[in-house]
Amino acid sequence: MFILDSLLIGSLRFVLDKVVQAAEAEMQDDSALRDQLLEAQMRLELGEITDEEFAETERDILAAIREIKRPQQGAISMSPTDKITGVDIDTFES
Amino acid sequence: MRFIFYGGKGGVGKTTCAAAFALASSAAATLGRVLIVSTDPAHSLGDALGLRLSPAPRRIRRQLDAVELDARRAFARWLRENRRALGEILEHGTWLDAADVDTLLDLSFPGIDELVGLMEIDRFARRGQYDVIVVDTAPTGHTLRLLAAPETVGVVAGVLDALQDEHRVIRDQLARVRRGPEAADRLIARLGAQATQIASWLRDRRRTSFRWVTLPEMLSVDESLDAFRALERAGLHVDEVVVNRLLPSARPCPLCDRRRVEEQKALGVIRRRLGGRRRLRLIPADVKEPRGVRPLAALGRVMTDGSTQLTRRPPTAARAPANTRQTQTIAPEALTAIRGASLIFFGGKGGVGKTTVAAATALRMARAAPERRILLLSTDPAHSLSDVLEAPASDEPAIIRRGPPNLRVREIDAPRALAAKRAELEAALTEIASAIGQGALGTGADRAAELMHLAPPGIDELFGIVSVIDARADYDAIVVDTAPTGHALRLLELPDAAREWVQALLRVLLKYRGLMRPGELAQELVAVAKSIRQLQALLRDRTQTRFITVTRAAETPLLETERLLRRLRRLGLSTPAVIANALTDNAGACVRCRTVAAAEHQSLAALRRTLQRPGRRSEECAIIQAPLVAPPPTGVVALERWAGRWKLELRT
Repeated sequence: MFILDSLLIGSLRFVLDKVVQAAEAEMQDDSALRDQLLEAQMRLELGEITDEEFAETERDILAAIREIKRPQQGAISMSPTDKITGVDIDTFES
Repeated sequence: MRFIFYGGKGGVGKTTCAAAFALASSAAATLGRVLIVSTDPAHSLGDALGLRLSPAPRRIRRQLDAVELDARRAFARWLRENRRALGEILEHGTWLDAADVDTLLDLSFPGIDELVGLMEIDRFARRGQYDVIVVDTAPTGHTLRLLAAPETVGVVAGVLDALQDEHRVIRDQLARVRRGPEAADRLIARLGAQATQIASWLRDRRRTSFRWVTLPEMLSVDESLDAFRALERAGLHVDEVVVNRLLPSARPCPLCDRRRVEEQKALGVIRRRLGGRRRLRLIPADVKEPRGVRPLAALGRVMTDGSTQLTRRPPTAARAPANTRQTQTIAPEALTAIRGASLIFFGGKGGVGKTTVAAATALRMARAAPERRILLLSTDPAHSLSDVLEAPASDEPAIIRRGPPNLRVREIDAPRALAAKRAELEAALTEIASAIGQGALGTGADRAAELMHLAPPGIDELFGIVSVIDARADYDAIVVDTAPTGHALRLLELPDAAREWVQALLRVLLKYRGLMRPGELAQELVAVAKSIRQLQALLRDRTQTRFITVTRAAETPLLETERLLRRLRRLGLSTPAVIANALTDNAGACVRCRTVAAAEHQSLAALRRTLQRPGRRSEECAIIQAPLVAPPPTGVVALERWAGRWKLELRT
């Protein structure tokens, strides 16, 4: 059953690779948000959402992407000696 | 079983010659049972015979049946018969489910006419009811695609085979008892075998004969030279050249004499370059277009034995051509139909002079407004812009010698454009393949990439549309010289079909986004969908887009013009003018010219009635008269001068 085995293992590895890719993407940058934006564009072209719904989604996603970008651009800087001991979470409504 | 193909540039009389030959051979019973088939999506076989034809053979004489193929219907029938097997292959070879597969199979395929044409002819041949099949083909460019169809079908069979392969392996491993091939396997085998078989009978000189029809005009001869080269490259052999509509000798007439000189020049080139060991048939021009079974049978006798005189009586109708219509000389750029438009299509039946009219208009438009950037674009795979302009033209937009500096000319080279985009398309194919579950395991995408080595049918229309979209940013106005009727309509219908394809793919990508991140392909598709949407809006925008129909004042072209206008209006396009081309004015004392002019005036009157028929959702449609000149206008100077002689009919 060599062929069947290799098929099974091949498929399994393929699926696992995808899972790892997805997890990595989630953790890193803004790519998950970009995917969401692309998805909204796709739904717009398919007529599944209206122009207004798209505009709203787009606004939210772009705002979120800006949010991620901000610290990376060095708006807040930390010296190497600073230590983070805890995190306070606030939500802002704009 | 033998096959006889009649090919040639549009309007040279392919249909007439094919029908005349078939009628004469059936009358003389030299060939046995004959079927005549028209494969041009804009059929004119029925018009020529004066009979109503359909996709089912109709008996028109003893031993002679006629049929006009309907590729879309034929494909729908084939799909019905094979839907299950095809669906199974797609389900086995991908992770698409039955619903996805159904959506994909229901999409329309742009090149289906050419793909199905030969398969249908093969189906008639297999019935065993005929000894000879005479084929009346579409104009040159698309006939070349038709003849390449077996190779495309072969590749499709290969793709299906790759998709089925995995299923086969698993099935063989799991099944203790070896079973026979499934319906899917049988379908793949049958497709592959049919493709190979058709390709081989096409190249078998004992079975298949190609006859090339040309007019004794340089434009027609130039196109024939190009086509001969392409045919020979494909391993197909032309064994007969038919030179149609040679002016018979008669009393001196300035117009006819100039034309005779041109004809002799063209005939010399034909003998030298196309003759060789091929049969050469010369057919005299009749004053009246041979239409109906009896006149065609008479022409057929001339063709087959060459002994009978074509017109028994010399023309005597010296009726003074009564052109009572008021006209006004007007430059093309000043026409209401042209002014203000940014996308102008010129179309009509083959051979009516679309290219000449489009080139002359573009030249005048550019001269009149030096600040506007104008593109003259040919989407006909058998280009003749460079022949008409007497200047080289290619896929790269270029200024022409002695032409206005704000005019660029481009002849789309779809196979080249396809090759240039190969890397991009292959990447897209791989991405599609992995989206539908083929990337990790299968080789379907590799096989599908083979399509890019061929020029699959429909490719000309696809790149035609892409080029129009791309050119929008760089030009103020685009003048499009389209392929003859059937394929021009296909070009204009393409955006709708393409949008459906793009949407179907987007749906698949969305559905499986958990397994496969919609990446570059999705971005690309979203962008494509957007530009298609813009193009669809542009095509229906009457202030921006116009379709100018070119015709001749004769019965068959007018019948086609009427059908074309109906289809265009249904597509929502603005059709503000018809150009009646090559009119014989100033007939002088020549009996022939006067007879022709009188017939043209009758046809023009019929055209006016059609355009003004009450009940038509009428948009004003002007008639423009363009004169016949000998030799036909070629080169920048002659074209511009000729366009200065057009006349607009005034409403009474």
